[in-house]
Amino acid sequence: MPAIRNQIRELRALREMTQQELADRVGVTRQTVIAIEQDKYSPSLETAFKVALVLGVPLEQCFQYDPRGKR
Amino acid sequence: MATSLSYREKSLYASLAAELVVYGPYFFLHQQNSVNKVAGMIIGIIVLQTVLQLVIALVTRNRVTDERDRLIELRGYRAGYLTIATLMVLGLGMLWFHAAVGHMRLDNRMMGLHFLSVFFGMLVIADITKTATQIVAYRRAL
Repeated sequence: MPAIRNQIRELRALREMTQQELADRVGVTRQTVIAIEQDKYSPSLETAFKVALVLGVPLEQCFQYDPRGKR
Repeated sequence: MATSLSYREKSLYASLAAELVVYGPYFFLHQQNSVNKVAGMIIGIIVLQTVLQLVIALVTRNRVTDERDRLIELRGYRAGYLTIATLMVLGLGMLWFHAAVGHMRLDNRMMGLHFLSVFFGMLVIADITKTATQIVAYRRAL
């Protein structure tokens, strides 16, 4: 299990937002959004805050850290 | 889930194709010992890369690059550097060894061209390693 997990896919679905829309608003590529949603890439702190801001939730609702997880 | 290629990925595939098309004949068809072939190859790679990258830039609407692209680029350069450093140590070691035991004379033109090709080959291998590492990183999502 990865050390950093996220609920972006669920939060995005609730807002009927596409991966491309989220990517455009955060300023990353759609491929990066896909990688983050699949827990294959942990974004920088700045990007994580931007994602949370765009989705309108606190950071910890978007991303969770599991110290037993694998980096 | 379908993941279409990003601008950077398309650019990398084009680079790899250009490198294989230009460097392949040079090394595998044994055209090394000719200054004209080396010059032709250098001009060929510059022209082909320019044309391919121009076409990709023109046909790709979204040319955004981000932190993940930069991270993957750094991984590629690290792999390329490790490759060239290893090959250079091996190459210089072999050169030193052969010169020390008197197996070869280093003062003739053919030997100069031979070593030009050997060290140029190292650069090419390192460059292809860099590009391939980046492509693999993109395919594995990182």
